[in-house]
Amino acid sequence: MIAELFYRRQALVLGTLSMIGIVVFWQIAVDTGFINPFFISTPSQVAAEFMAQFEDGSVATNVAATLYCFVWSLGLAAVVGIVLGMLAGWFADVEAALEPFIWFKYSAPTVAFYPLFVAWLGYGTPTIIAIAFLFALTPIYANTLSGIKNTDRDLARAARSFGARPLDIFLRVALPGSVPVMMAGLRLGVGRALTGVVVAELFGANAGLGYAITYYGQLMQTTKMMVSIVIVVVLGVLLTQILSFLESKTDSWRVDSNR
Amino acid sequence: MAQIEIRDLGIDYRKPKSNEVFSAVDSVALSVEKGEFVTIVGSSGCGKSTLLMAVAGLVSLTRGSIEIDGKQVTGPGPDRAVVFQEASLLPWRSVRGNVKFGLEMQRWNGGDLNERAMQMIRLVGLGRFSDYHPHQLSGGMRQRVNIARALAVDPEVLLMDEPFGALDAQTREIMGAELLRIWERAKKTALFVTHDIDEAIFLADKIVVMGRNPGHIKEVIKVDLPRPRNEAILDSDAFHELRKRLRAHLAEDMSSMQLVQEVA
Ligand SMILES: Nc1ncnc2c1ncn2[C@@H]1O[C@H](COP(=O)(O)OP(=O)(O)OP(=O)(O)O)[C@@H](O)[C@H]1O
Ligand SMILES: [Mg+2]
Repeated sequence: MIAELFYRRQALVLGTLSMIGIVVFWQIAVDTGFINPFFISTPSQVAAEFMAQFEDGSVATNVAATLYCFVWSLGLAAVVGIVLGMLAGWFADVEAALEPFIWFKYSAPTVAFYPLFVAWLGYGTPTIIAIAFLFALTPIYANTLSGIKNTDRDLARAARSFGARPLDIFLRVALPGSVPVMMAGLRLGVGRALTGVVVAELFGANAGLGYAITYYGQLMQTTKMMVSIVIVVVLGVLLTQILSFLESKTDSWRVDSNR
Repeated sequence: MAQIEIRDLGIDYRKPKSNEVFSAVDSVALSVEKGEFVTIVGSSGCGKSTLLMAVAGLVSLTRGSIEIDGKQVTGPGPDRAVVFQEASLLPWRSVRGNVKFGLEMQRWNGGDLNERAMQMIRLVGLGRFSDYHPHQLSGGMRQRVNIARALAVDPEVLLMDEPFGALDAQTREIMGAELLRIWERAKKTALFVTHDIDEAIFLADKIVVMGRNPGHIKEVIKVDLPRPRNEAILDSDAFHELRKRLRAHLAEDMSSMQLVQEVA
């Protein structure tokens, strides 16, 4: 226990140190003229620009726009992915019926659908949400499916020995047993939804972090662009960490979990 | 009339990836009186679990019939409860939650579930551990939870498939004595599968010796040792006699097994 805590603290310290190391290296590499700041800016300039964008409210506007699309796409993907995953995990026929779509989704890049969504929904928020929804759907669906499908047979048999009906087994054995896997799917979905939103914003939006990245990118304003890139990265790490935390709360009963 | 009446029982399994059938149990007849403790021994793969699962209503019969209190077994029922070889506890539920599980599945309405569960947990001596989760318990403790879960639904017949199979000899002996103590109070009919000869004798009113290919009953041995029993009985002459008899049976089975292997 103590050794484990020590180890985790050590991992945290090392991770932080290496992050700081990269930032320092970045700054020094530019200061010594090793790298042209035109391509990558510098940490100090990015920090100053962040404060400026923070004060004029554009950070808030862009983050809000991105989070709005993120929440909608993740929410829809969670509902649809979990419902379909549960049905497919429980009924082999549903799984077989959905299989081609999943293969399709695995093999075809989701962004390829972008023009199609634009044709249907126009440029802007609905298309961004649709693309990010598709990004996030697969891991949520796939994990829910495998969680339900791989229900422990011994537990199901024990339940049946006490007269459990199929619905009892689904609700009391299959579902609670799948929660950790479903949470892992959601964690993957969070990263994918954020990626989907930012990628879709790169192509066409009026606000949002992805929009700001392309906008300043086209103007060759690397520092301003870096601000949004850094925010995206921090947001991604933060959201995924929140989900990891929730995940660890739900699988504390797992024998192999040391959290 | 006997409480459990098994007549001409046969169970076939389909071999994997073919249409061939494999007879796991054949021509088994057995009657068990109410309150009787019956142990089932036999070499690995001779169909002990299959027989027990058939009585539990968890595998379908190919031939013959099983009656309990005159009623045909067609599936699981509240008159029977199973203690499985693997503890098969829900890992996300506490000890209490697991003991309540059987009651919930049976939609038990005999009063407060929590109270009933706690009563059973105390009966198996786990009162202090009711809030523990299975992964925080030892193998022996898990099996006790398993037994408490089965006892909680107050079955007429307790079906136990090597419940102490994974335990060391010492723990096994203690658990066996404890099971007897519980059984003498609860007065259930019990079918108990085991590999352990001493355990089979120590617990039983009668011992069913099974043979293989296909699984069948070779002999039913009455055990007339006085009850209540304790460890002292292990050294009695009658016990030695029974032990010798069972050993001979199982040794015979082992040599026939080797023969099969040589032929195959
Ligand atoms: N679901 C199944 N499908 C096909 N064959 C099975 C199945 N379950 C058991 N068998 C076969 O039936 C035979 C009897 O199995 P069973 O589990 O009843 O033996 P057992 O006496 O309980 O053995 P052990 O002492 O090792 O637990 C074995 O040969 C086994 O391979
Ligand atoms: Mg067995």
